[in-house]
Formats: sequence, structure tokens, C-alpha cells
Amino acid sequence: MTGLRIAITGLGTFLGQRLVRRWAESPAVERIVAIDRRPPLRTYGRVDFEEVDLCDPVADVRLAEKLERVDVFVHLAFRRFPSADHDLDHELETLGTLRVLNACAAAGVQRVVVQSSTMAYGARPSNPNFLDESHPLHGHPDAHNVQNRLEVERHLVGWRAKHPERELTVLRHCWVMGPTFYDRVVEFFESERPATVLGYDPLLQFVHEEDLVDAFEKAALESHPGVFNVVGKGVLPLATLLALADKRPRPVPRGWLYRSHWLHSEGLYGDPPGAFFDYLRYLWVADGARAWAEFGEPVYTTREAWVAFVASRKMRRYA
Amino acid sequence: MSTSGNNVVPLPGVHVRANVRRPALDPERAAALRDALRGLRHEIEEWFEPAPDVAGSRRDEAFDWMQLFDELRHRLGTLGMIERSGEVDEFGLDAVALLRARTLLDFLVDRYWRVDLHGEESLPEHGPVLFVANRSGLLPWDGLAFAHRFLRVRPQWPRTRFLVADWLITLPFAQPTLARLGGVRACRENTDRLLSRGKSVLAFPEGVKGAAKVFRERYRLQRFGRGGAVRAAIENRVPLVPVGIVGAEEAHPVLVKSRTGGRLLGIPFVPITPTFPLLGPLGAVPLPTKWSIEVGEPLALDEVGPEASEDELLVSRLNEELRDRIRDLVSQGLSRRESVWG
Repeated sequence: MTGLRIAITGLGTFLGQRLVRRWAESPAVERIVAIDRRPPLRTYGRVDFEEVDLCDPVADVRLAEKLERVDVFVHLAFRRFPSADHDLDHELETLGTLRVLNACAAAGVQRVVVQSSTMAYGARPSNPNFLDESHPLHGHPDAHNVQNRLEVERHLVGWRAKHPERELTVLRHCWVMGPTFYDRVVEFFESERPATVLGYDPLLQFVHEEDLVDAFEKAALESHPGVFNVVGKGVLPLATLLALADKRPRPVPRGWLYRSHWLHSEGLYGDPPGAFFDYLRYLWVADGARAWAEFGEPVYTTREAWVAFVASRKMRRYA
Repeated sequence: MSTSGNNVVPLPGVHVRANVRRPALDPERAAALRDALRGLRHEIEEWFEPAPDVAGSRRDEAFDWMQLFDELRHRLGTLGMIERSGEVDEFGLDAVALLRARTLLDFLVDRYWRVDLHGEESLPEHGPVLFVANRSGLLPWDGLAFAHRFLRVRPQWPRTRFLVADWLITLPFAQPTLARLGGVRACRENTDRLLSRGKSVLAFPEGVKGAAKVFRERYRLQRFGRGGAVRAAIENRVPLVPVGIVGAEEAHPVLVKSRTGGRLLGIPFVPITPTFPLLGPLGAVPLPTKWSIEVGEPLALDEVGPEASEDELLVSRLNEELRDRIRDLVSQGLSRRESVWG
């Protein structure tokens, strides 16, 4: 049996790096086509790098040329830090995904794996304690990256209906914690005294970075069509998480917090503070039972993922 | 002070009363006692000190202030964990928080409201069941008291979780506390999940209309939603148990409701009670009324299958029957008591 030929976008992201590093040695993978805007800092043996910018209007045509005899496409080109440039983010995330889907359809790629986020469900007071995959996606009106995800998910639904014979796997993962993962959320939690919304203490869940990589690897190498919430087991209140990390929260009344953080948030991430802090007010815990049955139980619970994150930061500081 | 006549040597600064006659202690016994004490002290010291070769010359080092600060900081930092546990259940119930609240809940249930529970013998041996009760007051004292009181008659059952209306569970400060004490947002998904995990649920189908009753309308049951509780019981194949809670509706006698004030605060209304805005936060303390909880016979849902939840007329009829049963239980509880104060 010959191995799979896999194409992957977002080589430079955490997930792209980890997956390519695993597959470079794996006998199950015959060839890897890695796609990114910039050449990688280091290359691995069997990885063919292709420089394609998904923001390019003819990226789908260029991609389709590279996808000859590719079995699996893993699409990871999404932002970990929202940028203040909404148009760029929209072009990369929404239209980029559209171009990827078009290219996959044209090139006859049999299996497509797309990264999504449980943030797309939206943090809302009317959420049940656990959101399963069938729950409607509401997103957040202010968070432009979450809005992009919603649009992507709509395109995915259309694509699935149009190509019922192809396998489409969508992995919605929650906030990721671990020794090396870094994004806007981790940046927030790295702070010595993180600002929280006074009077709110929602239950949060995390997934450990290794469990996330495992889930993506399985989704790419095996056949698991469908939508899955990739989350860790267990939930913890925000205050307990911070107490476990020996951090003292800085509770600020909501109106004050949203005004005082406005410039920082708009300047750095292009969204008002509510786009992030509303996720620290209301419940948006996803039910991962379906993914656990399909991909196997995660190794790390929410608490262990959090402790892994905290321990790694403490070691770095005192090393 | 006279010390003549005995051989006790007066210690400086210690006044020995003259009329106390102390037995003579001969020097040999004193020396033996001293040796024994010294030996004991050595033993205790060895107990606490690590073996000398491991500890090395720790004593000789200069005292490490930084280490002390780190230690203190660590201790103070973990102080935050004293009032919470490192693990909560999937709906946020915190066992440590509950343990700490137990003294207060015990006091409220036993001394303050003297909550009686009647009719629990008609319940099945094993849970879960779906309790349905009349709602009273803005604060969910009835749910807390029922869950606490019911745990005593069925200690082997997991704690009953009470459903809390949306507006309360998302209110600042109320939400973290309620979630840790066992409150769950009222919605079908949560009810199904709790029941399927073997946890009994206490629902208040009257909703905000029940909480918004003024004193004049007390114990007058409001409309019972759209039959969500009946549907949940049918689909999850659990007994539907009507519960009448008497006393809770007089704990906060609402005279007038201010809807304008409620809109400003983001709650359905601001209750004006004889004490509430007048005495400030102290006015929010409930009155020590006498409570009794009447648990009724479970509703017969055995003959209807899970597909019956699609039958709107059947659900509506069962819903009305449930309401009648709760009304009967409430009037039974009202006739049982002599006065509001018990």
C-alpha cells in the first residue's frame, strides 16, 4: 500500500509545523505539498514547498496546478492573532478558504480537512452548558475573525452539498493550551494580572496542543467525514484557573473595562474589547463526545492542559 | 513571703504562695528527670530534622530571605484555592464551595425556615426524577433549600440540581455563585444532559411569571410554560414528580414591582418589599417563615411512549394535570401549617 499524498496550507502555523514534522518521517505519508505565503525557515525531507498566497485572486488556479494526484488537503491558513486589517483577514480566511475549496473541487482531492473554532458558536447568555455540533453558529458581531469563520462554515456546508462523494472534515477546536502554542488567548493568559470582567466567572475549557495535533493527524490520515468539536475533558471556572496558576485576576466593571481597553484592542486586533472579553463573560463550552468517540479520548483534560501551560511559563521565567 | 520550713528554693520573679506545701524533690531524681527530658527532646528533634548527612550544613548557611519570600508568596497565592476545589463537575458545581456553604445552608434549613419535607415515601428507590415546583421570589432560595433538604432523605442520590432562569444565571455575581452551588441554566439541553447522567432536576415551569408574583398573588400558580418539563420527562423516561413549596413565597413579600428600575439593572423588575430598598442589602435577607415541602405522587407516564412528546394535546393535558397536582400540594401544605411563622 502506498502512502497518502497530502497538501497542507498554513505551513508556518503551529499546527502546520507539527503535522509536517510528524509526517516527514511517517510511512503512511508518501508526499507532502506544503503551501504558504513565505518560504519556511527549515525544510524537511519529503516536503515540497510551494509558495502560493491565498490572497491572490487567481490562487485557486495556481493551487489546482499543484494539487495533481493529491489525496488529502489540510487547510490551516487562519489567523492566530486578529489583525487590525479587516480586509486582509477577510481575504485570507474567507476568500482563501473559498479558493482552496475551488481548487480541491477542480483537482479532485478526495478528502479535505478544515480548521475551525468553537468560538464560532458565540459566547451568549442563552447558550446551554454544552454546545453540540448541531447547535447553530452565532459567532460574535464584533469579532471579525469569528465572523470570517462563520462565512467559511457556510461555504463548507455548500461545498459538502455540492460534492457529496468527497470527505469533508471540519474540526472546531476550543482555546488551545500547552507548553509551546501561542496565540491571542495565550498572550492574554500569560499576563501576570489578567483583566477579567467583574462579576462574571464562566466555565472554560481548553484542549492540549498535542491532542489537537493528534486529532488533525487522524482526520487527515483516516476517513472521518463530518463536523467535530475538538475539546479537552472537563471544565473549570476562570477564577479557579487563575488561582491554580497563582495569578491574581484584575476584575474590572464591564463598562469601564470595555472603554479602557478600547484603544489597545482596536489598535492591535482591530476589534472592540467585547470581541474577546465577551468570551470571558458567557458560556460557550462545546460538547466533545462525538470527537472523542471518533478520534479517541484526549490525553489531557482541561485542567492538565492549563497546568502544562502554566508550568512551562514558570520554568521559562525562572530558568 | 515565708519560705522557712521547707526546702523549696524561691525562683526569682515567681511568687509561691506560702501555704502551699511542696513535696521535696531529691537531687538524684531531679537529675534523672532532666536526663529523661533531654533524651525525649533529642528524639523529638531527630523526628523533625532530616538525617544530618542529607541536610548537610544547612544550619550554618545564612538565612535565605528570598526563599522565605518565595515560600510566603506561594502560600498566599494558593490561599485563593482554599475556598474552591481544583475540579468542578461539568455544570460548575464546586464540592469545596458547597462544603463551605453547608453551615449556612444547614442553619437556613434547620433553624431559620425549619423546612419540613412530606411525602417522599412515594418516590422511587432510585433516581433520577424530574421535580416540578412552584416558583417564589427573585432569589433561588427555594431551589437551594430543596436540594439541601432532599439530600437528607435520599443521601444515596446525587444532589438535585435546580434550574435557574436565564436572566439570573447571567447576572453578574449571581452566575458564579449559583453555578458553584448547583444551579443550572434552565433549558432543555441542560435538563436532558443532567437526567441522562442520573442527576435529578428541579424545574420551575412558572418561570419569571412565578418569581414576579406580588404578595397579594402568593400561591396562585401561573401558567406552566409550553410543557417543556412534561416533554423532558417523557423523552428521558423519568418520573415527573410534582412538588409544592410552602413558605418560600412569604420570605420576600413583594408589595410593588418596579419594572423601570428593573430595566435599568437588567433584571425583570425590582421588588419593593417592606424591608428591601429601605434597609439596603440588609433588606434582601429573607424572612424566617416556616417552610414545608410537599412531594406528591409521581405522574403516571409509564403508558405513554417517548413518541408522545410530539402529541401536543397530550402534553398540554399532562401539563395541566401537573399544575393541578402542584396546586393541591400547595393547598395541602397551607392547611397543614398554623401560621406563616410556623
